[in-house]
Amino acid sequence: MNTISLEYLVDSLKLIKPEIAVTITLVLLVLVDLIMNKNKKFLPYIFIGGLTVTLYFIIAQYCTSSFAFNISKNLGMVIVDPFGNFFKILIAGSSIIIILFSMLSNEIKDGADRQGEYYVLIAGMILGMFFMVSSADLILIYVSIEMLSLSSYVLAGFDKQAIRNSEASLKYVIYGGISSGIMLFGISILYGLTGSTNLYEINSLVQASQVHGFTYILSGFLIFVAIGFKISAAPFHFWTPDVYEGAPIPITAYLSIASKAAGFALLIRFVKITFIQSVDPNGFWHLLNIIDWKTFIIIISILTMTLGNFAAIWQNNMKRLLAYSSIAHAGYLLLGLAVLSNEGIAAILIYFVIYGFMNLGAFLVVMLISNKLGSEEIDDYDGLGSKAPFLSVSLAIFLVSLTGLPPTAGFIGKLYIFLALVDAKMIVVAVIALLNTVVSLYYYARVLKHMFLSDSTKETPAFTTSISSIVFVALMLAPILIFGIYFTPLVDFAKSSIALMGF
Amino acid sequence: MLIEFGKVFVFLLIAIVFVIVALIAAKFIRPARPTHEKMLTYECGENPIGTPWVKFNIRFYVVALIFLIFDVEVVLLIPWALVYKGFGLGGFLVGAIFLFMLGLGMAYEWRKGDLEWVKPKVILPTLKNVQVDIKEDAAA
Repeated sequence: MNTISLEYLVDSLKLIKPEIAVTITLVLLVLVDLIMNKNKKFLPYIFIGGLTVTLYFIIAQYCTSSFAFNISKNLGMVIVDPFGNFFKILIAGSSIIIILFSMLSNEIKDGADRQGEYYVLIAGMILGMFFMVSSADLILIYVSIEMLSLSSYVLAGFDKQAIRNSEASLKYVIYGGISSGIMLFGISILYGLTGSTNLYEINSLVQASQVHGFTYILSGFLIFVAIGFKISAAPFHFWTPDVYEGAPIPITAYLSIASKAAGFALLIRFVKITFIQSVDPNGFWHLLNIIDWKTFIIIISILTMTLGNFAAIWQNNMKRLLAYSSIAHAGYLLLGLAVLSNEGIAAILIYFVIYGFMNLGAFLVVMLISNKLGSEEIDDYDGLGSKAPFLSVSLAIFLVSLTGLPPTAGFIGKLYIFLALVDAKMIVVAVIALLNTVVSLYYYARVLKHMFLSDSTKETPAFTTSISSIVFVALMLAPILIFGIYFTPLVDFAKSSIALMGF
Repeated sequence: MLIEFGKVFVFLLIAIVFVIVALIAAKFIRPARPTHEKMLTYECGENPIGTPWVKFNIRFYVVALIFLIFDVEVVLLIPWALVYKGFGLGGFLVGAIFLFMLGLGMAYEWRKGDLEWVKPKVILPTLKNVQVDIKEDAAA
């Protein structure tokens, strides 16, 4: 290993400008919170400003493909590449939406004296996720996952006076602690086998020795546990419904998009970089045959979407329903990885952008309704179609998009996943996924039935929606409808972002 | 490769066996003449008052955490203090940023009143937005 000089580090700092911008935003938030003890009005605006600067830095370095914090001449701990930058844009963008979201939320307003903590912890989550999508080192992966988790544990229990929040937080801590412990065990085994924590170095070592062995499979799966926990894949999904139901709605929405996106980026990077042998001209990957990732991921994804969809049928709480639906969506997204080709990755990226808009939109409407009704039970949605036509129609569009029916954007997302599957001749899997979509139609349609066809038996207060929330919902609706018809720019953008460092 | 881990396993076994053997051997060798004073909890020579199984105020842990942070800070700063001259201004800034972050945390702690030893008002959590009948729960 080279001796690390200071100039070396300073050069690396130029490559992590987005992360530095987030850190400075975090410090600013703390300072402003401390100086203006009573006045919390400016915090979200400062945060949005900081994130805009961050977005600028990400876009400025979009096409860079380089290592930062090198440990030797051509190996580093942090990777800056279009793939990582795509996910950083996704995370920063969804964070801005979530901040606007929180400004409308009653639950966050209740904890007004702790709003400083709220935004600072979100900044901490962003920082953790940024390093998660761009790390090439097992230690850094672990540290960034912990950074994300610790902040999200606290945020899940933000409202200290609601038992539901504390329960969600505690469950999240316990499940999360165990899963990260298991991951650490997997990392230690992988390090013991190869003597390196750098993914690229592990890859070249494994390629050179052509080893097979149970311990490699074990370590790969153990590391998958923690990532599977973050993306709520099937055997590790138990926390999802409880935490999603208990946490404040903005945090639920944030967990379902940003933390899931970071988990997927990490999973793709880990699988591709650590186990790849070569990429053929058609964009299909040939993995080392230490672990049969293809079969493994197919099994996990079928399990995930079937379980998610069938469990969602029985839900009466809107947040739980969306939690199970987000589990099912994790299943569809995993199929894109199971193809093990560049096309599959492009499909995942397309799906994520669309999924971000429709899921955040659905949660936004659920939150606006719950601000008024004080409930998220589907039975209470009876007759909402006539009382709050705008909110009901937009929720209907988001749910139709989540099902994946044309002409909404959800259809385009699913279409590209299925195209990638068919291209790889995985017809059976594609059919199973299609059948799952049909199941999902049932529970989404049930919500619509309650809103538009059932009459309310209860007297509910008059429904007024502020102009700002109407504009916000409309802004979330626009991409769903636009990308449903005119999706070429999105597809081109995704296809230009699949380049991972080195391959 | 798996065989390599055998060494670790042997090491682990020896560690476990050593503890067990040492404890059992000591049990046979040492004299055992307990008196009332010997059986008491050791509290720096004072006579203990009450049972040792009391709930400690959670604020002890907050103070302990802050202490720990500054302890670690010293451990990190001593090596930095030894070499930073060689790195010039850049080296100084690295330590300065670290100290600034820690200071910020301290200021935060102070301002939010976590260092004050006045008993805060206890706010019990309530059931909000949950359709659970508490009485029914308690009966079950």
